[in-house]
Amino acid sequence: MNLFRSTRDGMKALRDRKARNAEIDAELESFLSESISDKMRSGMSLKEAERAARVEVGSASVVKHKVWNAGWESHADRLWSDLMYTLRRLSHSRALVLTVVLSIGLGIAANATIFSLVSKFVLQQPPVGDPATMVTVNRTYDHGQCCNNFPVPVVRDVQQQAKSFSGVAGYYETMQTSLGLSGDPHREWGQAVTANFFDVAQMTMAAGRGFAANEESAPVIVLGYNLWQQRFRGDPGIVGKVIDVSGYPYTVAGVAPRGFRGLDQVLNPQFWVPLGKLPELAVNAPPQTSRESQWLRIAARLRPGVSRTEASRELSVIADRLAQQYPKTDKGNGFMVEGIGSMPGRIGTALHLFLLGLSLVALLVLCIACANVANILLAQGAQRQREMAVRLALGSTRGQLMRQMLVESLLLALGGGIVGVLLSVWATYALSSFRLPVPIAMDLSVRVDARVLAYSFGLSFLAGFLCGMVPAWQASRVVVSPALKGEDALSRPGRRFSLRNVLVIVQMTLSLVLLCAAGLFLRSMQHALKIDAGFRSSGMVMMSINPPLQRYTPQSTALLLDNLRERVASLPGVVSATVTDGVPLSMGHRSDSVDVPGMPKPDGANNVELYMVAPDYLTTMGIPLLAGRTVGEENPNAPRVGVVNQEFVRRYFRGANPIGHIVNDGSVSYTIIGVARDIKSRTIGEDQRPVMFRPINQNIASDQWQDGYTVIARYQGDAATLSKAMQDAIRGVDASLAIYNVQTMEEHMHEALFLPRLVNSIFLVFGITGVSLAAIGLYGVMSYMVSHRTKEIGIRMALGARMGQVQGMLLEGGMRLAVISIVVGVPLALAAARLTGALLYGIKPWDVATFTAVPLLLFAVALAACWMPSRRAARVDPMIALRID
Amino acid sequence: MGDQSMELVQGTLEMLVLKTLALMPLHGYGLALRIEQISDGAFKVNPGSLLPALARMERAGHVKGEWGETENSRRAKFYAITEKGRKALRTEKAAWNRQIAAINKILEA
Repeated sequence: MNLFRSTRDGMKALRDRKARNAEIDAELESFLSESISDKMRSGMSLKEAERAARVEVGSASVVKHKVWNAGWESHADRLWSDLMYTLRRLSHSRALVLTVVLSIGLGIAANATIFSLVSKFVLQQPPVGDPATMVTVNRTYDHGQCCNNFPVPVVRDVQQQAKSFSGVAGYYETMQTSLGLSGDPHREWGQAVTANFFDVAQMTMAAGRGFAANEESAPVIVLGYNLWQQRFRGDPGIVGKVIDVSGYPYTVAGVAPRGFRGLDQVLNPQFWVPLGKLPELAVNAPPQTSRESQWLRIAARLRPGVSRTEASRELSVIADRLAQQYPKTDKGNGFMVEGIGSMPGRIGTALHLFLLGLSLVALLVLCIACANVANILLAQGAQRQREMAVRLALGSTRGQLMRQMLVESLLLALGGGIVGVLLSVWATYALSSFRLPVPIAMDLSVRVDARVLAYSFGLSFLAGFLCGMVPAWQASRVVVSPALKGEDALSRPGRRFSLRNVLVIVQMTLSLVLLCAAGLFLRSMQHALKIDAGFRSSGMVMMSINPPLQRYTPQSTALLLDNLRERVASLPGVVSATVTDGVPLSMGHRSDSVDVPGMPKPDGANNVELYMVAPDYLTTMGIPLLAGRTVGEENPNAPRVGVVNQEFVRRYFRGANPIGHIVNDGSVSYTIIGVARDIKSRTIGEDQRPVMFRPINQNIASDQWQDGYTVIARYQGDAATLSKAMQDAIRGVDASLAIYNVQTMEEHMHEALFLPRLVNSIFLVFGITGVSLAAIGLYGVMSYMVSHRTKEIGIRMALGARMGQVQGMLLEGGMRLAVISIVVGVPLALAAARLTGALLYGIKPWDVATFTAVPLLLFAVALAACWMPSRRAARVDPMIALRID
Repeated sequence: MGDQSMELVQGTLEMLVLKTLALMPLHGYGLALRIEQISDGAFKVNPGSLLPALARMERAGHVKGEWGETENSRRAKFYAITEKGRKALRTEKAAWNRQIAAINKILEA
């Protein structure tokens, strides 16, 4: 009530300042006249009474001022006038505003963009009820190593034994189906969950319900919000409808809330089915009773009042019990409790480190920007010394001056924040277009959300405050009398390096570090592009299908693939066509450890990358065959054969001829029939791995692959036309097959360079930003120095110094700063580069080219920044210079 | 009369104004005059402190000001005490009495 009235009256007074002043005047006037008539009644003359009354009342304006000060509005009013004054002043110096706002804007944009990653991958939580009491549980092995999934029986054990939880759900993270209403099937990714999953998550469904307790293996499905919107156009009557899931009828039970994409924030599952239905929908579904197949993850709800630590303590007791009960399978295993939305174990740690590194780099950019702004404001403050001195002399307090300068820098910071956020909206949009080359549905999109906004503006105000503090403090320390005379009131004799010089050195040093990193990544990128993947990436179109999702048996799948390959091969423009179960450079396919009887085991890890291929594989991919023969039309029932690569021969045969030798993979044996050239298997930057290609038709029955098969065609002509013809050919054979991952090999390779491209772009942008800021800073300092020393230069020239000498003297001053920065920066950059080693392809962190080119570049930029002001100085006319002031 | 006037005790002006207004609504000068009269000329209140105090109290809702006419038919702002003001007066009076009692105790000890 009180606050309301006070606010209302204050606002009224502010809004109608004149009326309020008139009211105070009127009241004062009536006081005066009452006083006068009173005094006249007691016998004074009019004149005497007037004089006495005025003496009593005192100065009218002082009274008015005091009355004004009684309310809060006077403070607001003063702040307002500061603000107005600042705006007026800033509107006269557009260049300054532009530089400062852009500097802070760039720094903030860097931080906002990186923070949007942090917000998405670290801070954001899925829309479950009460996220604080929900946890995921990971399985540890070998006494604490992270992390494995759980076999079904262990999930049941936890469900029955753990008292810390009110509910324990298990879920299978990635499965795919081909899903449609009637015809037009699409391949979709989803999860298989225990029936209590949605109850444990306490989710408010967008429509319908989760699963009931008796639906552990019922044909029901929960759709993701996006899937519902996109495939079913948000049909409000979807609940209860029957849809086609890989050829089986499933009833839609409900729709998950908007933004729910499973319990971690990277995968992008769009449907959920009961766990009991997995064998029907997935090829090679792990057995539900085995204690050995580890494939489920656990989500659990803590009982009220139970903490995470208490839960882990109970779980470790259970782990000990299980280890005793089932020593063969459960020994050494444990449980690790984590909050939901966080990525488990090694991936999580790596991601956090990566984001932390990026955040630090972004803060570095902001530091450079701030140093720049502080520098500019300092220079400006120096020019304003006289104004400050005048205001001090007229009775302003130092506090008032500081307040006004802080208002100014906060205003600039606000502008910088706005620019920064706008830039980062664009940057996050660009970031979201990066894709990982994996065949799993992932959601890597980032955007500027409320958290990012708060962080950005918080940071920009902090930056503004820090930048403004230095010059404000300096300016308020003006020594009045010399400043009034126009002399430098800040100069303290005997100081070699001013604060501004130190700021420039810091700026240039940090930019040097950033630029070196950028240079390293650029060189590494060049190398990565030159790395020979082992196959010819141009001129290939590929697309994937997953026949087992449409109830194909291994035999009929093999027939279908043969049929497709022949049809595609006969399309116009196709040179050759093949089929495989995995495309190289997809960050890892299948691998297994093998042994070769009669040969010593190779040192270290001996995992072999295993690919299933159809005839014409090597020709289509453009991988040269070096010895023996390639995989052709093999007899499915004949002894199995395989083609290995050079690395395989190096590791297992130490260079001896491998052809005819037997390779054992568990109980399966392969006879080596040929040797192919090395290819990169998982990532482009890896060391060569041993690879074996096996015929599809010999292995499909015993080793069915669940993630589908890819048809690859080498073509001449137009990729788009061919791609369409290929899809038509596939639909012509079976229209119910969902076709996905349609792309050229070059597009795939482009995605394969995801991480280096991302890191490279970030550092390049940051590095260029940093060095531009540093150049502006150096230029500013030099210009200031020149304008400051005009008189001195004039005297020197009058005494006979030549233009070249003067210019040389000034250049030397500026370049000294650059040299110091390089001397300090190069070791720093070298130290920082050691951290990037793991991300570099084909070059060492102490790459000589980078560490020569970057300092030279910085030196050149510094020279340019010093050159212009020094030139101006050399043109000083001594007669004019001496007459200044 | 003026010679014997003294400074108001710090922080008591608002209490005195409230007490005076509790008897009847008054305008600024009337208020100053009344306080002077009741205190037998001991306290002289000048507008430099009275008017800001009134503005503060009006903002706090302890008094309510309204423009009206004086006996000399001049326009003046008349202040009246509000219910909230009465309450404030009671608490301030109680606090003042406690203070006085304590001070007296010390002085007479």
